[in-house]
Amino acid sequence: MSAAAPEPKANMGQPVPRYDAREKVTGVARYASDQQVSQPAFAFLVTSAIARGDITSIDERGAREVPGVLDIFTHRNTDDLTQTKYGQQGGGASTSIQGLGPEIRHDGQIVAMVVADTFENAREAAYRLKIGYSEATPSASFESAGTEMKDANGIMSVATQAKEWLSTGDVEDALSKAAVTVDAEYSTPTQHHNPIELFTTTCSWQGDKLTIYEPSQFVFGLKNAVAERIDVAPDNIHVVSPYVGGAFGSKAQMTPRTGLVAYAARKVGRPVKLVATRDQGYTISTYRAETRHHVRLGSDRDGRLVAYSHEGFEITSRPDSYSVKGTEETAHLYSFGAVATKVNVVHADRNTPGFMRSPPVVPYVYALESALDELAVKLRMDPVELRRKNDGMKDSFGKEWSSRSLMTCYDQAAEAFGWSKRNPEPGSMRDGEWLVGWGCATAVYPTHNAASAARVSLRSTGEALVQIAVHDIGTGAYTVIGQLVASELGVPVEKVRVELGDTLLPAGPVAGGSVTTAAAGSAVLKACAQIRTRLIGGASSGDGAPLAGVPDGQIRLREGRAVAQDGRSEELAKLFERLGQNQIEEYAEFVPAGASSNAMERLYQGKPTFVGGSNGEKLMYSLGAEFVEVRVNQRTREVRCPRAIGAFAAGRILNTRTTHSQLMGGMIWGIASALHEKTELDEKRARYVNDNIAEYLIPVNADIRDIDIILVPEIDNEVNPVGVKGLGELANVGTAAAVANAVYHATGIRIRDLPVRIEALLA
Amino acid sequence: MGFSMSQSEKPGGLNRRSFLTATAMGATLPVIQQARAQQAESAPADPRAPVDVKLRINGRDQSLRLDARTTLLDTLREHVGLTGSKKGCDQGQCGACTVLVDGTRVLSCLTLAVMAQGSEITTIEGLASSDGALHPMQQAFIDHDAFQCGYCTPGQIMSAVACVNEGHAGTNDDIREYMSGNLCRCAAYPNIVAAINQAKNEMRKA
Repeated sequence: MSAAAPEPKANMGQPVPRYDAREKVTGVARYASDQQVSQPAFAFLVTSAIARGDITSIDERGAREVPGVLDIFTHRNTDDLTQTKYGQQGGGASTSIQGLGPEIRHDGQIVAMVVADTFENAREAAYRLKIGYSEATPSASFESAGTEMKDANGIMSVATQAKEWLSTGDVEDALSKAAVTVDAEYSTPTQHHNPIELFTTTCSWQGDKLTIYEPSQFVFGLKNAVAERIDVAPDNIHVVSPYVGGAFGSKAQMTPRTGLVAYAARKVGRPVKLVATRDQGYTISTYRAETRHHVRLGSDRDGRLVAYSHEGFEITSRPDSYSVKGTEETAHLYSFGAVATKVNVVHADRNTPGFMRSPPVVPYVYALESALDELAVKLRMDPVELRRKNDGMKDSFGKEWSSRSLMTCYDQAAEAFGWSKRNPEPGSMRDGEWLVGWGCATAVYPTHNAASAARVSLRSTGEALVQIAVHDIGTGAYTVIGQLVASELGVPVEKVRVELGDTLLPAGPVAGGSVTTAAAGSAVLKACAQIRTRLIGGASSGDGAPLAGVPDGQIRLREGRAVAQDGRSEELAKLFERLGQNQIEEYAEFVPAGASSNAMERLYQGKPTFVGGSNGEKLMYSLGAEFVEVRVNQRTREVRCPRAIGAFAAGRILNTRTTHSQLMGGMIWGIASALHEKTELDEKRARYVNDNIAEYLIPVNADIRDIDIILVPEIDNEVNPVGVKGLGELANVGTAAAVANAVYHATGIRIRDLPVRIEALLA
Repeated sequence: MGFSMSQSEKPGGLNRRSFLTATAMGATLPVIQQARAQQAESAPADPRAPVDVKLRINGRDQSLRLDARTTLLDTLREHVGLTGSKKGCDQGQCGACTVLVDGTRVLSCLTLAVMAQGSEITTIEGLASSDGALHPMQQAFIDHDAFQCGYCTPGQIMSAVACVNEGHAGTNDDIREYMSGNLCRCAAYPNIVAAINQAKNEMRKA
């Protein structure tokens, strides 16, 4: 065991190495743009130079002079592409802005695509294409004139079906009577996913059949949406996406490029390959929109909360009302007393935002957990104790938690961190010229579930195959699904073959909402149970059966044998031989409680269904506690984060290795959210300025030091048949608040606008 | 030849910005100036005319006819079928395309194929031995789970091998600094440091 592969505790599985590890370290793993197609033509996008206005002219002459140009696609010759419905609740299109003009609705809108015989010629021709615009003044963001603000009530989001804002009691009255109050405004910046794999699409037609190679978090969603866009039957489309080079939400829906590449490939009569540039990725896909928050908290003298009011503001595009509505999650987190929530969307001339790792909770939990720290300071109370005071198995609405290990997480992380040595006085802890600050915050993520199918087969040799169109975006899905099959069928994990990410396989849900293991795992359990029933039924009956007469319930599949409780057993190969079969194959469909009865049918049509979180009878959430140390240089005010410790409870852990990496990577995302990441916006022209990964600061190796992950054992059999809560989007929540709280502790300066920058500390 | 990540004059002072400046100014400009000078002397040649390029990749000679503007990365991926080296930015910011040129780590997206002639090019596909035994760095990346999505991994591993050979893997701080040209969005950084610490000992033995 090493730091990367922690010793499993109770209810945790072995840290077996990744199923796809060898492929990934040898360069053999074929990501979408690695797929070899015959005689591809190469596409290069041209994106708009303005954020609002109209295309007035297109001069193709210079571009057409470049040898090897096969065709140039603009709004003039693509108007038979079908406008596809915006996928408000996931699936479908990522934006309503799909056309190549003439109307321009955001900066970097795709306005043309050049297809040529080589990448070099396509690129040159794209640069030679002259597009004229008439430019109108765009509204960039909150401060701009011309935006339109709307109450987000009634806007459907993936996980929230609420028609009214969560509220209980009289918040104004409770605040007016509260002994101590906090009233503060916070903001979070625009962020882009920036997976290292670019947005690529390769389309290849064979007759009327289309194969799409594209990194996707939802192959069934992509298949059905493209079918609508280019007006072909979904059955004629095959999406291949076995490896995804990072996604974080950016590859969950169909973006406008895919239909265009498919269309072009049909037109030029050969496969077309597009690898969009890094800067184009900022505008041709989605992003995390900037948010603002007004939070008010009230408590009694002892720190018992009596009121929580939270109003959020989120930027979205002109036509689409994307909203994360994080108050639907935060309102359940503690026993608040009276609660009032509201979220507004602000329409601006921007590309449509979308899902980015932990969409609702990253901005909203930052605001809440910062306000709680401000309250702790006012109360002169330890921030851990403030949370303990308001911890409980029931929320303010009387709803119970299925399981809640928050304070266990706090206690274990606090002890590992050495929190008891903290002097609460701001600026009191120093190391030479460095001001030392310690801060903490809660991490939380709703436990979702979704419909999924699975096919599992077991051969007489003990080899198994499991097939599901879910997606390993780096999460470890291949590995944990293989482990589940191995343990359910009693075969070694090395003998399980796992096939994912392909629409020829049984449908699985979007790799979003941290739902893959819960949903796919539940379907796998069901298929394995069907195989077991057939095998065990055969083991206990028939001529010469060594286990004849043993009740089926007393037979297990273990180590390649059917084993009775009394120790008698039969080898798998012999059992198959007696049954006259070489293999048993079972297909299963899992639909979680609370999902619509047609959830499986909808899934095959590319429409996701999510249940869980706060929507069921009980509150189902993963939880964690994060502690960070920051060091602020007394003179330069540069901020460093030398260590961070998080303790997390997320039900059953299938593999401590992949879990550790998910949580560690998540905490680093959180540190980046606090200290590095921000897409800068030209407020006058509504254009992204730092649209590359040297100037958009994602952490490099030297930015990160010690990250310590503690896995807290937790059993929750109510969440789903597998007992997992989901944790891919847990650890990057709350971290930004913990860092900002630590910065306050180091300096006495409260940062309410992320990221924390040197200039804000030069007071 | 190529863009070395080990050109830092200031020990421990290599950051991605100074690195970018060094590579862009130090390597690309002379090539362009040279090309322009040649053009000025004779009749203007068609810049798109294909050129014959001979490359030695993973111990094998490859004769190619390429657009002179083709980068080493696109040559590997689109003309030789070696797709292990990845395109993550195509502008020298992410390190996913890192290969070894005569043992030095080089960003293949900022290297034209014609510039790599006469050199020994090693890609991720050429790192394991022909019998399939993994290089110690590849095994260490598996052991320490030094990746998640795996997309930056070929570049990380090539960079890590060079980092050790350069003598820049002595301390954790050195490893972090000299591996900062390779971005990992999944953020496996602490595991990458652990993997390099394991592999450097085995590489020394070998």
